[in-house]
Amino acid sequence: MELHILEHSLKVASIAKEGIQICTHGLIKLAFLPSKTRCKFFSLTETPEDYTIIVDEDGFKELPESEYLSVADATWLALNVVSGGGSATSSQPIGVTKIAKSVIAPLADHNISVFMLSTYQTDFILVRERDLPMVMHTLSAEFTLLKVVNGETVAANSTEVTNGFVKPKLALSSVPRPIIHPLSSPSNMFCVTSLDPDTLPSVATLLMDVMFYSGGAKEAVGQSEDSGHIRFFSFSLIEGYISLVMDEQTTRRFPNNVLFTSASGELWKMVRIGGQPLGFDECGIVAQISEPLATADIPAYYISTFKFDHALVPEENIQSVIGALRTNESTGQ
Amino acid sequence: MFCGYKPDILWSPHHADRYVICDTELSLYRIGPAGSSESKAGALAISEETAATLLAINSDTPYMKCVAWYPKHEPECLLAVGQANGRVVLTSLGQSHNSKCKELVGKEFVPKHARQCNTLAWNPVDSNWLAAGLDKHRADFSVLIWDISSKFSPEAVPTEKLRLSGDTDSGLVVTKPLYELGQNDACLSLCWLPRDHQKLLLAGMHRNLAIFDLRNTSQKTFVNTKAIQGVTVDPHFQDRVASFFEGQVAIWDLRKFEKPVFTLTEQPKPLIKVAWCPTRMGLLATLTRDSNIIRLYDMQHTPMPFGDEGEPTIIERGVQPCSESIISSLAWHPSAQNRMVVVSPNRVMNDFTVFERISLAWSSTTSLMWACGRHLYECAEDAGPGAAAVEKDIATKMRERAQSRYGHDTVQVWRNHMLAGGDDPQLRSICLTGSCFHKYTENMEQKQQVNKQSLIYSGIKNIAKTSSGTTETRRCWSGSDRQTDVPRYHSEERSLALQLCGWISQGPDIDVEPFLKTLEQEGEWERAAAVALFNLDIRRAIQILNKGASSEKGDLNLNVVAMALSGYTDEKNSLWREMCSSLRLQLKKPYLCIMFAFLTSEPGTYDGVLYEGRVAVRDRVAFACMFLNDAQLPRYVDKLTNEMKEAGNLEGILLTGLTKDGVDLMESYVDRTGDVQTASFCMLKGSSGEVLKDPRVQCWIENYRNLLDAWRFWHKRAEFDIHRSKLDPSSKPLAQVFVSCNFCGKSISYSCSAMPHQGRGFSQYGVSGSPTKSKVTSCPGCRKPLPRCALCLMNMGTPVSSCPGMERCYEKADLTRDKKLAQFNNWFTWCHNCRHGGHAGHMLSWFRDHSECPVSACTCKCMQLDTTGNLVPSDSV
Repeated sequence: MELHILEHSLKVASIAKEGIQICTHGLIKLAFLPSKTRCKFFSLTETPEDYTIIVDEDGFKELPESEYLSVADATWLALNVVSGGGSATSSQPIGVTKIAKSVIAPLADHNISVFMLSTYQTDFILVRERDLPMVMHTLSAEFTLLKVVNGETVAANSTEVTNGFVKPKLALSSVPRPIIHPLSSPSNMFCVTSLDPDTLPSVATLLMDVMFYSGGAKEAVGQSEDSGHIRFFSFSLIEGYISLVMDEQTTRRFPNNVLFTSASGELWKMVRIGGQPLGFDECGIVAQISEPLATADIPAYYISTFKFDHALVPEENIQSVIGALRTNESTGQ
Repeated sequence: MFCGYKPDILWSPHHADRYVICDTELSLYRIGPAGSSESKAGALAISEETAATLLAINSDTPYMKCVAWYPKHEPECLLAVGQANGRVVLTSLGQSHNSKCKELVGKEFVPKHARQCNTLAWNPVDSNWLAAGLDKHRADFSVLIWDISSKFSPEAVPTEKLRLSGDTDSGLVVTKPLYELGQNDACLSLCWLPRDHQKLLLAGMHRNLAIFDLRNTSQKTFVNTKAIQGVTVDPHFQDRVASFFEGQVAIWDLRKFEKPVFTLTEQPKPLIKVAWCPTRMGLLATLTRDSNIIRLYDMQHTPMPFGDEGEPTIIERGVQPCSESIISSLAWHPSAQNRMVVVSPNRVMNDFTVFERISLAWSSTTSLMWACGRHLYECAEDAGPGAAAVEKDIATKMRERAQSRYGHDTVQVWRNHMLAGGDDPQLRSICLTGSCFHKYTENMEQKQQVNKQSLIYSGIKNIAKTSSGTTETRRCWSGSDRQTDVPRYHSEERSLALQLCGWISQGPDIDVEPFLKTLEQEGEWERAAAVALFNLDIRRAIQILNKGASSEKGDLNLNVVAMALSGYTDEKNSLWREMCSSLRLQLKKPYLCIMFAFLTSEPGTYDGVLYEGRVAVRDRVAFACMFLNDAQLPRYVDKLTNEMKEAGNLEGILLTGLTKDGVDLMESYVDRTGDVQTASFCMLKGSSGEVLKDPRVQCWIENYRNLLDAWRFWHKRAEFDIHRSKLDPSSKPLAQVFVSCNFCGKSISYSCSAMPHQGRGFSQYGVSGSPTKSKVTSCPGCRKPLPRCALCLMNMGTPVSSCPGMERCYEKADLTRDKKLAQFNNWFTWCHNCRHGGHAGHMLSWFRDHSECPVSACTCKCMQLDTTGNLVPSDSV
């Protein structure tokens, strides 16, 4: 297995809902006019609370300074696991589940905070730049570490650095990680999809509407909360690849044959993690969720935002997921 | 790979006249001669000779991203189209009646997760296999290999799940690929390897190229690189692959896959297409975005390096198929040589043939060969009788002259002129000058006048400058008591100059009579008369003219001239003077002309004589030495020298001598004629070391030696080198080859010279075989035996019985050719390959009848390895 440390230096920011209009110019440029910026990594996720932006340094320059914009102080680096091509088993778990045991758990054990961003194409594990030596130290045993420098992939050598923590004993599978934060599961179902960049201009106005005008008259906020319905939309444009997460209702607004769909037409349900904003320093949250899923071999997407984390699991598995997580929750408390 | 909305071209793999243009739809065209009867009104002219006719259009497949043409004959015109959502659709053009095609057309191959299809490739052998390269998906593979003959597999997709795909046209949808490769990555380009059809080369997003073997997909060879677009195998060299990234093309050798063999110079704009020419070895066409120029890289003579050889030579060219329009894609014609069709973004097509680079070579024997495409042309100098009118090429002349040993006669230098064919006045002059210089040098050497020697070779120009103590005399016309008013000047240097001009012979005697006699013998009547006249002997001049008129083939007009001459009067205003000075210009013969010029001119102003270009320089200079005063003479000589230098006239060597000035003059001559042969010989001859060191002179000499080598005139070349080393000791090459002892590693000859008491004659070891007296069969350094000859089994250094004349060889200094050869027979030779060897004579006779090494059990074909050994010198003597 290869672990690629990507070149992008990323910023994680939050834009308050009421302040979105001052940022739209920059966001539209980043999302729809990639040739006008040097930005290579852009992600926008709308939650009921705010907009979370993950963007590289070139893209960050497009955003104005504003009281509505709060930025996490660290610089983040994106890690990407590549299987290295070998033959894979016929039924492979998707996404975070696959890397839960190999990447996420060891990082949690070493008290390294991670920020997850799953896309249609792949999963990005964001770690703070200052944690990188420790990350490399932790993962060098299991992965071939490769670093992207000026577009060339070169071997990265881990230097023997520890962050002062003694290596904890390996978490035994019999002792599940306790789940600390409250969970909730909204009622609506989601699609993880993508589209051909060439067709992006044709749906740009629709996407803008979905991104920025969702809080309008069409959907009353109170009403949706009552029915357990959550407002959630994610758009990312990373190295030329578009990834979209939106609920099923929203997909119906798109013309036929624009969105990429899987042959099986799978749909996903969300598990939302956190009652209070989670902050950036606590570690182990992703591991708490992903490990039970990996044990149960349930595929999952995981999208961290500025305040809360979101896991997506196949709709048919939602009950067993909730069940498994609740068990852990109770043991933890 | 191409952007869906810019047209691309595909040639039919089997119909040399059909191609498809694909942009939003597929259009099949047939190419034919323009204006022919079969071309319809709708034909589009795509070049001066050809036109394209639209045969069919297929717009069934929207969102096209890539197209690949089925490689087999049957069914023809079957195309696979890769779409933006990753589906691969089989479609056809203008083949509605083909039943075999029918069941395939419309078949769809759907990946589990939709994403763009970047590239398609049919397996060249197992043509049911179609590889599709897709973009990345987090849970899916990027390369799917479909079997187009596979049937719909209902268990693969639960139909109730097809709600979003919106297409349940079952029976034609295949969702289960034969093979899946490249998890967690995108595939930007791929190709099957022609050497092994089970192998597939993929270029992935994660900046690597990987070779998969379908028999064992868990194993792969891969290399990290940025150049991951457009991988394509050279059809002529199946281990050579090109791939590109932005503006840079990397060329790979699959046998040495760690890094590119080389990368081509980066282009400012990103590349969109890279294609090997299928009809020409090692020709790669590259096209960048928004460009109207196709860059061609010719790697024809590129050796595929396995070691760390230097940069390969690549010839880069740009061609512009259509002058103004941007090219959006190109496709080489599959069979017509160097032909391609290019298409512009607005679908304007252009049929274009890249003109083959012409490579041209002169042979050393003046024929010219050039190659263009698959044709070879030769142009040889016409040796027929009609060719005599045309002057022969200098190379031919030099070759003929070298063959007749031109330049090699160092004793009678003037004879070289005859050796050169005797028809070139310039060579005649230079040989005469050289001869004079030579003669006088010898003379001076005898008299031990060293300083004079250097003066002679520095030419009359320098002699005239040093002239001092000039005396002026006014002499009578001989045979008459009339006093002339013509002053004549004398000095030692002037008479030396006259000697060099050949007018008077050496010694204190200044009589021109011997010279006149020689001229009379050679039939140069006018010249003799002029010389006699300049020596103020009108009677002798008239006598010579009379003789000339009465001689065989004599010109009777000379009598008339003699009569005119006899009427000479020194009266200034006489009718004779007036008429002569005007009529002399009508005389055809330059010497007659200057005679009257001399007689009619005022003392001291002899421009009519001095600047008569048709008169030999030596005569004019001699005249100047007699009649110009100390102020006029150097000025005249300077002026004449510069004239000669400019004209590259070898007669001027008389003035410049073999000095730096002489090199300048010779340079001008060589520039005009290319005759390095004359230049080399001339400059070698007695030139001082300083002149020889002039890079120009060295260049001529080296070039001449190379020429001799090229003509295979090895004996001449050796003679030249010997001649050269005599005249220029610094050119003698140092010993470069030593025979070293197998045991102690010391040079055999070296240890001899270090220890002279160990036996004289050792230093000649490599040259002349062994000295007989000391009977050396062991290394003088360590006393171990020397190797044995593989044939006579005697130790090296032992005299061979077949050479009885050895003793005498040492006594006689000048060896006959036989003796020389006999000595050579004793040389030790060995094969560089198998290291066996023996006496040269034995080896030569062995290989006359055998091809293998004489050592038993050694199968080395030593003689065949020796490339020069098979060449025969063409000047064999």
